[in-house]
Amino acid sequence: MAATKAAPIARPSWALRLVRNALLWMVPVALLWLLVTPVYNRFLLGSAENLVRLTEYPSVTDLLRKDNHFAYISRRDFPPATSLVHSFRVTDVHFHLIMLGVLFLAVPAVPWRRRLENLGWAFLITIFFDIFRIFFYVKFTYATQLGPWSAAHYGAFSRNFWGLTYHVLDLAFKFALPFLLWVGFYYQDLTAEMQPARG
Amino acid sequence: MARKTPVSPKKPPAAEEVPFWRRNRRELTFLILFAVLLGAGFSLISLNWVNDHAIEPLTAGIARTSGAVLNLLGQKVTMAGTVIRSPRFAVNIRNGCNGVEAMLIFLAAVLAFPASWKSRLAGLGLGIIAIQVVNLIRVVVLFLTGVYFPKIFDTSHTVIWQTIVILFGVMLWIFWANRFAAPPAEPAA
Repeated sequence: MAATKAAPIARPSWALRLVRNALLWMVPVALLWLLVTPVYNRFLLGSAENLVRLTEYPSVTDLLRKDNHFAYISRRDFPPATSLVHSFRVTDVHFHLIMLGVLFLAVPAVPWRRRLENLGWAFLITIFFDIFRIFFYVKFTYATQLGPWSAAHYGAFSRNFWGLTYHVLDLAFKFALPFLLWVGFYYQDLTAEMQPARG
Repeated sequence: MARKTPVSPKKPPAAEEVPFWRRNRRELTFLILFAVLLGAGFSLISLNWVNDHAIEPLTAGIARTSGAVLNLLGQKVTMAGTVIRSPRFAVNIRNGCNGVEAMLIFLAAVLAFPASWKSRLAGLGLGIIAIQVVNLIRVVVLFLTGVYFPKIFDTSHTVIWQTIVILFGVMLWIFWANRFAAPPAEPAA
């Protein structure tokens, strides 16, 4: 009887395993994010309010929670009828946490302990980023969104500075931050697993 | 018992003796280059001239293509600039919904990563097309969500689809870097 040799099972590449893991992690991470969103929104509003107050004298800004997702920017030095100067969706500030969780949990061939440690550090950095993003949003609102009041209190340079900074933080770095952090923690794993170039 | 200690004229320094910058030179170079290119890209598209002459025509093209697909699906939509309208629902495609953010992140990452120009150009060409295809699916699905499930439109618009499109761009880059970019050359001893 001829001995049959089992053909070696071809293992998917590191990149393909990462993509597969990312697809598997997407729903659990999104559900967890949804669950903690109301608590995280409260924490962000409180921290950002303190940060804004550090930069103004007298302290007049309140960040008031409207519901689980929305908040008002309020100024105590404005007449009561117009004190709620702007409203925004706090949840939109931090949905990049889903991307962060998925990317960090999906990395194959990395021990769980290291994976969670890295995710913890990345999460901590992201919390600071989110607080600063709300801070910049408040300043952007004051500088550019309150019509004659903005024009009277902010010069052309200030308006451009707060506008551009908010634009870059809101679109560019909000989306790129999870990726930047992932590369920071896993660049060596990526390059170690690189396959010979094709073509 | 006497222990023999190997005598080496050039003992390689322990990892902690090598300065942080040199130890993580490649990562830091990539991250700095990526951040600079990304910041420059987003600053460029915030200029009115670039927005009016490049971004708006691109967005209008996305609206026309999405509208054509929606008509194929029997939605009877009309397009005007960046607006897609049907008797039941209308959307205006703006920055954030045209895939430009994902494209810029992908572009900055491909250009910042050490690879040959041939694989960079191939990656950019195919990657940008793939991102726009996913974005087209996003616009069509979002329009249908607005028509049939208006209550979940907002969440679907911001949270779900923005995450999917950006994550797709990131996965595409990881796949490209892992499979098609040349491995980095070892630094000279």
